[in-house]
Amino acid sequence: MHPLERLVNLVALLLESRTPLTFDQIRSKLAEGYGHQDASSAKRMFERDKDVLRDIGVPIDVVSTDAWDVEHGYTIDKDRYYLPDIAFTPEELSALFVAVRSAGDVSAEEAVRKLLSGADRGILAGLGPPALAGEADPNLSRAAEAVAEGRRVRFAYRTSRGERSDRTVDAFGLAVRGGHWYLVGLDLDRAEIRSFRLSRISDDLKIAGEGTEPPDGFRAAEHVQAGPWGPGDAETTATVAFAPDVAWWATRGIAGADTVRTREDGWVEVRLAWSPGEGLISWILSFGPDAEATEPPELRSEILGRLEEILAS
Amino acid sequence: MPPEGGRRSGATRKAPEKASERLRRLLTVVPYLVRNQGTRVAEAAELFGMSESELLADLDLLFVSGLPPYGPGDLIDVDIQDGRIWIGMADYFARPLRLTRSEALAIYLRGTVLAGAPGLEEAPALASALGKLADALGPETLGGLPERVDSAGEGRTPDTLGELRRAAADRERLRVEYYAASGAETTLREIDPEEVFFAIGNWYVAAWDHRSNSERLFRADRIHAAAATGKRFEPRGLRGAGRPLYTPAEDDVRVTVRLRPEARWVAEYYETSREVELGDGRLEVELPAGRLEWLERLLLRLWPDAEVVDPPGLHQRVRELAGRTRERYG
Repeated sequence: MHPLERLVNLVALLLESRTPLTFDQIRSKLAEGYGHQDASSAKRMFERDKDVLRDIGVPIDVVSTDAWDVEHGYTIDKDRYYLPDIAFTPEELSALFVAVRSAGDVSAEEAVRKLLSGADRGILAGLGPPALAGEADPNLSRAAEAVAEGRRVRFAYRTSRGERSDRTVDAFGLAVRGGHWYLVGLDLDRAEIRSFRLSRISDDLKIAGEGTEPPDGFRAAEHVQAGPWGPGDAETTATVAFAPDVAWWATRGIAGADTVRTREDGWVEVRLAWSPGEGLISWILSFGPDAEATEPPELRSEILGRLEEILAS
Repeated sequence: MPPEGGRRSGATRKAPEKASERLRRLLTVVPYLVRNQGTRVAEAAELFGMSESELLADLDLLFVSGLPPYGPGDLIDVDIQDGRIWIGMADYFARPLRLTRSEALAIYLRGTVLAGAPGLEEAPALASALGKLADALGPETLGGLPERVDSAGEGRTPDTLGELRRAAADRERLRVEYYAASGAETTLREIDPEEVFFAIGNWYVAAWDHRSNSERLFRADRIHAAAATGKRFEPRGLRGAGRPLYTPAEDDVRVTVRLRPEARWVAEYYETSREVELGDGRLEVELPAGRLEWLERLLLRLWPDAEVVDPPGLHQRVRELAGRTRERYG
């Protein structure tokens, strides 16, 4: 008998049996599967099959079949086996498909296929193409598990500046920003809520016991900072002129950017929040000759000084 | 600016199949087939991510399975005619297995990322789907995750996103004005958009580019204008979601730079082909580049935190760029 056939028969047998079945009962009913060998090798085969079923999520329980706890029987709890009906609209199912299809995240794809069984035929016609890139990240699964269960985790972390240290963190939440996942939680050594980019965790994230509860009103996204390439937080304002080629996209997505005017030469002047420091200067220079800081004079002279240094290097 | 201009990639994933994988698949596809009697083999295979021959081989084994005493009246009835599937005597397989915890977490996380993508028409449907899922599965499967995961917002919707997705669905060629960051220039071209997808915080379109006669990846927020041409195209099967955003080519220049701690973010933001810790906090990276213009601009902004090792002429080009920028300041 093919192993797949034996497994299918075993699931069917246990799902349909009203009482738990002992191994001997299973062996006599499924004689083609387990009956040909001696009892101990048949039992080993059954144990392996049971592990396979548990692996894919079939809830097999072992229960006593007599009051003296001598005989054991196997059973599948139907309530825990069957997916409850979920009344998704076709649009909802289609949206889930768009999120997971053909992106290499096998667990998510499998999840959506299970949900599909409640759908009527014809859903295929309404499915959009897959729209989200990105494969499964083992540390993301572990972090999600820790957040779901409110655990404490331990991991080796490297900051954006390359400094390494071991961290112990109570996992409060997960937030995604710019396509990257961050674990947010209480850093026990620093006694502060911090965020950790998962891609900077240099080894496996390990569960280290029970965590504590996040404060009331906690929202993971509020603890995730922007990267070092944007112009930074507001203190005062600066005006920057952009060449027509880049003006239309340069300040998109930058909070508080206001277009002041379009000059006769087509350049566009934009007012931006500016806090002194590296952020804005570096960002303006990334446009090369397609951007010019016009206000305030300190900003101009800092940029000019930087350019002179490069020219002299 | 993640680099652009990826060429076709051939990522495949298929290993010899174990009985456990086949069982998992069978317990998922059979409930759909029981509910939707007469489903086409091709449709079921596509929906459930398997080949038609895999599906037929699995159904062949299902056909000899059932309940004791395994007489003709106890076996699952599988009937395949004219490419359509009918299944009887399998009521116990009429509903699928529950989602495992890792499946439930995975779908919830991916759904959260995509629901946060700016301008996604499906976002409301996706959010309500995730809500229903959380209600149905409950804390025993999802734990406290639904209240503790969110998206920090991903910027603004590209103006052309709607038109790109429409054209991809209608298979219509577009005339676009595109700012190619790799060459720091705006170009006009006709493209056949095949797939629009969201990756690392940006929308992209995988398209055939008639200007270079090759497959290209375009960042949607750098497409200034997209005009319908009325011309239809035949899809070439270009891959969208799941492809690498940058595929190195043989004629790429390999640029080596040393990054001080302040500039190490470059190694996270751009594709690198080599990374070496220098031990003093600096990181030496090799960046593959089809063109050098974007790198000159990157090095200009990073100075003095990045030092060019190779090619030797690159630093001179950065100086020239600094000179042209200097002219703006009179």
